[in-house]
Amino acid sequence: MFTIFRFTFREAFSRKILLVSIIIAAVFLGIFGTGVHFAVKDIARSQNQMLASIIYPQLLLFGLYFGGFIVSFLSIISSAGIISSDIESGSIQAVITKPLARYEIIAGKFLGQGVFLASYAAIMFAVISSIIYYKTGMRFPWIWQAGLLFMLQPIVLMSVTMLVSVLSSTVASGAIAFMLYSVAVVGGVVEQIGYLINNLYLKNGGIVSSLIMPVDSLYRKIVHIMMPANNPLSAIQQMGPFGASAEPSIWMVAYTLLYVLAFYLLSVYYFSRKDI
Amino acid sequence: MNLAIETENLTKLYDGSAGCKEICLSVEEGQIFGLLGPNGAGKSTLVKTLVGLVRPTSGSASLLGRPLGNVEVRRKIGFLPENFSYHEWLTGRQLLEFHASLYKMDRWTRKSRIPLVLDVVGLTGAERKKVKTYSKGMRQRIGMACALLPDPDLVFLDEPTSALDPLGRREVREIMQGLKERGKTIFLNSHLLSEVEMVCDQVAFIKGGRIIDQGRPDQMGADGAVVELHVDVVSDGLLDKISPLARIVSSGSTTIRAAVRSREDIPELARAVVGSGGRLYRLAHEKVSLEEIFINLLKEGD
Repeated sequence: MFTIFRFTFREAFSRKILLVSIIIAAVFLGIFGTGVHFAVKDIARSQNQMLASIIYPQLLLFGLYFGGFIVSFLSIISSAGIISSDIESGSIQAVITKPLARYEIIAGKFLGQGVFLASYAAIMFAVISSIIYYKTGMRFPWIWQAGLLFMLQPIVLMSVTMLVSVLSSTVASGAIAFMLYSVAVVGGVVEQIGYLINNLYLKNGGIVSSLIMPVDSLYRKIVHIMMPANNPLSAIQQMGPFGASAEPSIWMVAYTLLYVLAFYLLSVYYFSRKDI
Repeated sequence: MNLAIETENLTKLYDGSAGCKEICLSVEEGQIFGLLGPNGAGKSTLVKTLVGLVRPTSGSASLLGRPLGNVEVRRKIGFLPENFSYHEWLTGRQLLEFHASLYKMDRWTRKSRIPLVLDVVGLTGAERKKVKTYSKGMRQRIGMACALLPDPDLVFLDEPTSALDPLGRREVREIMQGLKERGKTIFLNSHLLSEVEMVCDQVAFIKGGRIIDQGRPDQMGADGAVVELHVDVVSDGLLDKISPLARIVSSGSTTIRAAVRSREDIPELARAVVGSGGRLYRLAHEKVSLEEIFINLLKEGD
């Protein structure tokens, strides 16, 4: 299993998609950093504390939301062919026939790809948080918990993409994973609107979408961890599509972990029975 | 004699239609076994079933005395897939290192085996180049190197020379002969009948997913073969004695050519000559190529 783990981790660095993701991340973080720099400069000049209390958290939310989007993009694109492309090219034939059980191949690939994506997410999270911290002075007491959940986001997407990759082609697994991610994103926004206008149907729609793909609820949880509702401006700070009017419970995090485990086990089950 | 491969009614069905059906094979250790058949006959399905790429629908099989699916026995099995596709971003050396890890080979064994197999397949000097820069023939050679890496007791070679030039083919034949001399068993799946004929101890013909005939290549052609007899003098009496056993194709003053129904009739033919008082100087059946046997078998089935 560790051979496959090391190999998958190394393989992730050889893919062109990593270079593309690094360039996109560098461009995004460059623009984000520049935007934060000038926004903070302007607000500091005006010495408007109220404005700073509202805008600074919005900058953080913006960074985490789009940073998470880039991480998710890399997760789906790089995981779409994690099994299927090896089957399609035939390179898996020489691997399966070696003295290792099929579950070891899935476990190794899951770990290798998971560590790679989690590392990428951790760097993205660290840079975004650092920019906000050094420019605005905002403090994040539970930053480690938030960071771990940020790292979990791409793993959730990867677990789903891996299962589809076992069952289907690379194109299909990428397309299905993107559709599910879209459901989560749209569902999250719908839920936010539901809280804004107090509409139960919209709120429930968001909850259902979170059960189908819990990656957006993870984001909302991160937002609440980073900005706990402990001041009178919390409601305003959490408004808008990037905020979280209601904090997802710890059970949602537990559900997400079980969700990942279930998809991993399904991948093992179907791959063990698959004719190559 | 121990069996390297034994199958009993091994069947693999794809959506109800046969990939291969009720395959019963016994391959002795130390043999080169050839599997022959037209496209779509079920050759690759049988190989894939044996190496664990597909799960059999029914029946059983054992490799080196262990049941199909046993993971540990794979340490002693090498496999060259038909399409020999490998991870292109690796160098030849890195690819072999990866496969050595998969075989759970220790560092010292790797150090000795990798240069050895590179030398055997003629890729010494090219191991630092990336696989994506390799020609088709070189890719097939690196695939062969991967298959030979653990010094396997049983090697499955699926069309091992399809991308090689005549010189490369000869080298592969020499590799196979070398393995055989060291007591290794080779299961060869090939379209190249002449190649199979040159190296195989046993062959089996597969058609429509079923084994339709198997045996030694030099004996298989004897059924229905033309036998040439050199005697002191061909008399009418001698011809009368031979006629019930074989169809006379031609006869001269000292030579008779007769077609026997089966190879079991050949000793009877000799006995008939001697029994009629004739002196038998030479008896030989004309060699029938594997290609002719192959084509005849396919025609018979139609």
